[in-house]
Amino acid sequence: MNEENREQINKDRKGIGIIPQVAIFFAIGVLISGLIALVSLRARSDSTIRRETEAFAEEVAEDVALSVGEFPAHEWLLQYWYEHADELDIEYDVTFGPGTETERKATLLAERYPGLSLRYADADDIAALAPEDRKLYAEVAYSWLITRVNEIKWSHDADFLFCVLTDDSCETQFFLFSAASMGAERGTNYEEVYPLGVTVTVSESQRDAMKSAVRDKSYLAPAGKYVDYYAYMGDVGGMHSFIGLTYDLQALTHEVNQQTGGSAVLAMLYQIIQSSLCLLLLFAFVLKPLQKILRSLRRYKDDKDSSAISEALSGVHPHNEIGKLSEDVVDLAKEMDDHVKNIASITAEKERIGAELDLAYKIQESMLPHDFPAFPDRREFDIYATMDPAKEVGGDFYDYFLVDDDHLCLVIADVSGKGVPAALFMMASKIILSNNAMMGKSPAEILTDANAMICSNNPEDMFVTVWLGILEISTGKLIAANAGHEYPAVRDPGGSFELLQDKHGLVIGAMDGIRYKEYELQLEPGSKIFLYTDGVPEADNADKEMFGTDKMLDALNMNGHADPVEIMENIKAAIDDFVQEAEQFDDLTMLCIEYNGPKPDEGAAADAVGQNSEDAVPALAEEAAAEPLHDEIMIDALPENLPKVMEFVESRLETAGCPAGTISMIGLSVEELFVNIAKYAYAPETGSARIGLDIMPEQREVMITFADSGMPYNPLEKEDPDVHLSADDRPIGGLGVYLVKETMDSVTYERAGYRNVLTIKKRY
Amino acid sequence: MLNINISKEDAKVSAVLEGRLDTVTSPDLEKELDAVLEGAEELVLDFEKLEYISSAGLRVLLANQKRMNKQGSMKLVNVNDTIMGIFEVTGFSEILTIE
Repeated sequence: MNEENREQINKDRKGIGIIPQVAIFFAIGVLISGLIALVSLRARSDSTIRRETEAFAEEVAEDVALSVGEFPAHEWLLQYWYEHADELDIEYDVTFGPGTETERKATLLAERYPGLSLRYADADDIAALAPEDRKLYAEVAYSWLITRVNEIKWSHDADFLFCVLTDDSCETQFFLFSAASMGAERGTNYEEVYPLGVTVTVSESQRDAMKSAVRDKSYLAPAGKYVDYYAYMGDVGGMHSFIGLTYDLQALTHEVNQQTGGSAVLAMLYQIIQSSLCLLLLFAFVLKPLQKILRSLRRYKDDKDSSAISEALSGVHPHNEIGKLSEDVVDLAKEMDDHVKNIASITAEKERIGAELDLAYKIQESMLPHDFPAFPDRREFDIYATMDPAKEVGGDFYDYFLVDDDHLCLVIADVSGKGVPAALFMMASKIILSNNAMMGKSPAEILTDANAMICSNNPEDMFVTVWLGILEISTGKLIAANAGHEYPAVRDPGGSFELLQDKHGLVIGAMDGIRYKEYELQLEPGSKIFLYTDGVPEADNADKEMFGTDKMLDALNMNGHADPVEIMENIKAAIDDFVQEAEQFDDLTMLCIEYNGPKPDEGAAADAVGQNSEDAVPALAEEAAAEPLHDEIMIDALPENLPKVMEFVESRLETAGCPAGTISMIGLSVEELFVNIAKYAYAPETGSARIGLDIMPEQREVMITFADSGMPYNPLEKEDPDVHLSADDRPIGGLGVYLVKETMDSVTYERAGYRNVLTIKKRY
Repeated sequence: MLNINISKEDAKVSAVLEGRLDTVTSPDLEKELDAVLEGAEELVLDFEKLEYISSAGLRVLLANQKRMNKQGSMKLVNVNDTIMGIFEVTGFSEILTIE
């Protein structure tokens, strides 16, 4: 059982199932409703009892009254009984029939008065009787009545049933008649039933009861388990007459309670049955399907198998919300499947696009010329260019190519926007520009025609800033045109980089029909041009400050003698230093070209060099001592050029006042190093060497640098020859560098960019 | 520039050098000596008018010294101070016979 399952089980333990919850609710409900039923039924039963009791009592009293009223002469009888209570000889509690005293008396009366109906004799009839016969009649009637009243008592199961008389004070009760149960004794003792004529003193409550009865005609009051009832029957002989009734409520209460209790229990039973049915239904139609859904969902969570859950839940039938839930869950599972497939395919698509973008980027990158040195056999100029893209494929580009043997075309451009559209537009622009240039057109014509071509196919209104220049290599004449691009930075030999604020035409691609203008610039040997896109001055740091053209110019001017490679490295270092951690926002595209002057050929060039130095000597002689001299030549590294190189160095040294012996020694080193380059640097091909000469008269020091762009080679690494070997053992060679090392003050080597640079220094 | 004046007398060859013995001119010396040294037993080189020597020149001297060591002898005369300095630095002062 793993962690997840354990967690799930613990989660499940918390909380009660729906059936127990509902069952508890039902139970409580049943209890409460049972209680309510009980209470309300009890209340009803109480009032029922009360009503029943009253009705019962009324009924009984009614019966008794009727029995009395059956005798038409009942008024006379009641009075007579009251007045002659002591004298009457009454036969109590007999069943009618022959053999009884009453029967005898009745027979006697019937004999004496044949027309007399004992039953229905009225007051007049009685008045016609002899006094002793009236007594007889009273006794017979009383017997009949008492029997009747007993019957009533028995049949209604009353405890006491009697008729009493009382005066206004209601302090005493005169018993007229009192019903007796079967087999009861008549008398005044406990358990005996009162005969006619007994007078008792009543309790306070009975007194009040009777008074109330007089007032309200009847009075019903519970007395513990019993109920006392008095019905006012009117007056007899100046006295109030009541029919009194006492009976035991218990039976009635018991009966009623049984009824109500029975009803309550029935109600509760019904509730319980219904609740159980409800629970069962709940179980069948809600819980079980829910559990099934839950189980299937759990399983789906683990295996994500939508067909399994679909199958499992297909058996969930209830056509209720649970059924719908089950269907929805299955739908959800299927949708999850689709969703996952979707995501997978989207991800795959994304990766594919990413891979293609990478490829596109590589293609774009390879379109820019990137071999350096660009034209190894053309030493009239040095070019170096770099493009460092920002995150996406970019729209900056540079280009350089020879239009013909004497014309070099330089391009730098910046396409609006980023990403694939800019890259595509960049490729198109580059090709259009170079095609136009290769036709031999001038920069203005190239831009004009390129603009026309691009505008004709530019529905997206993209545009590109371009600076394009064509250099006539033999003369150093540069013709250029600028279509909305950054000002180029130009350095004249001996000066420093400054922005050339050339005239800006409109950016290419913006509007058709634009005619561009070009301008001319004369380059001298040593002139440098630095081209760039706005990524350079607009490179920003974390504080959103921009690098700016001032800092750019400072970095460019950091080292006046630096070659294009070094210049680019300086700029890059300056930008890195400024930007530090901030993300590169825009492409950094730069191109630097240094013009070295026309190709030196055998005749004219050498003379020119010689002439220059000869002419210069008298004038310079006086200045030489004071001014530091810098000069350099670029020359094919061929052994036959050695005299020219020597002439170049030695004449300058002479002018500077260097002693002959030192000149000779320096010359030796120059020869050795130049010859090394000539023999080895480009073997088996040839290349050029640049010799730079710096004379500092104040320090009386000479520094000469030898630069070649051949294979990397540090001559100082070579082991010194053993100078003590004998002739036979000495190998031929290896002496040149050794001589240099021994005769010069310092010899240093540096690999700068793609060049070997050897520097010697000598004090004189 | 180098001027070479060679004279041969039986087995002795004399060469008077004037100018510079450097990369450009050494091949000339080499060629000319090669032409005459067959069977020579003595080689004398006069450096009085020689101003300058570089490693190319040293190489030629070494090659011929080795050759003459087998055939006979070789010596240099009238070596100036500068060139002498070079010979010393390179240890050639011990290989060559200098008078």
